[in-house]
Amino acid sequence: MHRRTLIQTLLGVSVSGPFRFELAAQEEIPKLALAAADAASEAIPRFLAPAEFAAFRHLGTILMPASEVMPGAAEAEAAEFLDFLLFQSDRETQTLYRRGIEKLQKDAMAQGRKSFVSMTDAEAAPLLAPLQNPWTYEGPAEPYAKFLQAAKLAFWQATLNSRQWATASAGRTRRGAGLDTYWLPIE
Amino acid sequence: MQSDHDVLIIGSGASGGMAAHTLTKLGIKCLMLDAGPAVDFDRHRVLKPVYELPYRGFGRPGRFPHVTQANEFNANVWADEKQNPYTYDPKDPYYWVRIRLIGGKTLMWGRASWRLSDYEFKNKDHDGFGDNWPIEYKDLAAYYDRVEPMFRVAGRKEGFRQLPDGIFLEDASGDSLSVQRFIQSAKRMAVPTTKARRATGQLASSVNLLLPDALTTGNLTIVPNAIVRELTFDKNTGLADGANFVDRRSSQERHVKARVVMVGASALESNRLLLNSGVHNPVLGHYIFDQIYVKNVIQCIVPEARGGKAPRNLMGGGGYIPRFRNLDTKQKNFIRGYSYDFGSGGTPHPSYFPLYGAALQKELAAVAGSGFSMTTMGEVLPRVENFVRINKEVADAWGIPALHIQHRYTENERNMAVDSMHVAEELCHGAGFEVLAKHSQMVPPGESIHELGGCRMGVSAKTSVVNKFNQSHDVKNVFVIDGSSFVSGGSQNPTLTILALAMRASEYLAEEMRKGTV
Repeated sequence: MHRRTLIQTLLGVSVSGPFRFELAAQEEIPKLALAAADAASEAIPRFLAPAEFAAFRHLGTILMPASEVMPGAAEAEAAEFLDFLLFQSDRETQTLYRRGIEKLQKDAMAQGRKSFVSMTDAEAAPLLAPLQNPWTYEGPAEPYAKFLQAAKLAFWQATLNSRQWATASAGRTRRGAGLDTYWLPIE
Repeated sequence: MQSDHDVLIIGSGASGGMAAHTLTKLGIKCLMLDAGPAVDFDRHRVLKPVYELPYRGFGRPGRFPHVTQANEFNANVWADEKQNPYTYDPKDPYYWVRIRLIGGKTLMWGRASWRLSDYEFKNKDHDGFGDNWPIEYKDLAAYYDRVEPMFRVAGRKEGFRQLPDGIFLEDASGDSLSVQRFIQSAKRMAVPTTKARRATGQLASSVNLLLPDALTTGNLTIVPNAIVRELTFDKNTGLADGANFVDRRSSQERHVKARVVMVGASALESNRLLLNSGVHNPVLGHYIFDQIYVKNVIQCIVPEARGGKAPRNLMGGGGYIPRFRNLDTKQKNFIRGYSYDFGSGGTPHPSYFPLYGAALQKELAAVAGSGFSMTTMGEVLPRVENFVRINKEVADAWGIPALHIQHRYTENERNMAVDSMHVAEELCHGAGFEVLAKHSQMVPPGESIHELGGCRMGVSAKTSVVNKFNQSHDVKNVFVIDGSSFVSGGSQNPTLTILALAMRASEYLAEEMRKGTV
């Protein structure tokens, strides 16, 4: 089969001359530039009530503050992400966080007659004292201490795994932040 | 359409893959059924940054309550727990970790490749507990010799009685200064050390090392997505004549005929299949065991590496400590023994530090790359009271009755774990490391993914399920070739032994078929 005939057969049309190249160019489907939702919008908290969410977000800024060069939990929108995660979590985890935040707010009022969200790091320190207990394999048994430990690790991971952290890391290290092999669904 | 085959192989992992590799080269026509689909390594794997994953690497909550190895990157590899349920007594949780893909768990295994020794094969002779295998090390040595080159096992020959040498790609790599200090500390305590022995290569799976050669012979047909419901039997002879299976995607029921059936579906799945098939044997399902894991039994800091001040070659690398307890001496409160993996480098997890905020960040920066950790792997005693049975109240997504697993560790395992913590601390102190954390908490049974037993080898149908060639005592043309045939497991990762046993059983079968006795 002649080359021209072969191309015509593959394209299913009769083409000749310069028009052939125009048509081939049209067949190249462009790859569209798309944005991820979290790069172009704000999350709507669905698990925590507004006051609870504000306290939780403030806790994140204390547990995982920004440094001069790297984002903290607030910049990484870690609280927003964790609210989404908690919304899908089991009842036990939801209760742990909800009651933990409740106690944090209540103890803040009892301690300084001010809300937790308006406390400085130093003012909040007594409320976070359980985080200074030594490590054990089982972790804390007392629910409030357990909540604080869970929140500490969750804010840390949610911040390090954020787009904002990866962007800030890009200029500082040649290693791709959090890059790994992802297995697609296999059918 | 051909539905009549010489040998039906159920499962495509280490044992099924080796059976296909061995039998097809000897001219035997095989049909392989596997419950899962095949991976297209170019199409099914992509590089992604963690922030592009829907759950920022946390994974969908509740998706894998028993698979601690699952993360959001590899979540699609593990068997779905809702589609494939199992049960246990809530007091005795069992973490059953499964992969339902062509290649099975050889797609994800840790590649550690250790031989068993007569401390395992003849363990009753050594300490009086349990039962010996009906084979000894010399029966399997020649098969290990052939499997290791196939899996390109790298390691170092040491002459340990408890960890026989093999045919290795010589690992001549040096040790970092911190590892050298640790090895010296071990020598002072008369604790042996060696390099890891691992299968090498980009992939070390039946998918690339066994099945392609088998297919090249033209004697192998692989059917994916075929979930075997039960074996079928000839009413006159009582012999197996094939299997019924369900197509995973359509749920269509199908049947296949075969002269011989080789079951290599993974230890507990093989137990489940035989139980669901009505195979009668008094110990079928009993004597299941695995290996204890004390993950990060100790976490240390190498002090000289603090603050990013590690001199060149201080950190990195690691090794292995083979069993050293109860070889020539006796421990007071446990029998058998344990081994360790150890590694230098990395940054300890933030959970170890009683800090938060800027203080935690400062400390993590200070200890970056200065970690040294060890993990214990110990022998679990096979006991008749650890067993699986069919739970008729629960079925999988295809209506196949599920397994109930009863497995509990005892004082022997607990005392072993505690001993391993103390020894680890002494070793690390001796190396001048700063101990950050230590513990002796074993992970739940099953989590090591080294499920073994239930169809154990032996000389009698009253006390075992298969003979020394993995052939069923009760149904002579059924062979059970995976880890379910183990009588004991030591503390060595079992895959190399599974491969060697499957090769040996397959060659025996081929010869028996040639003679016309099977």
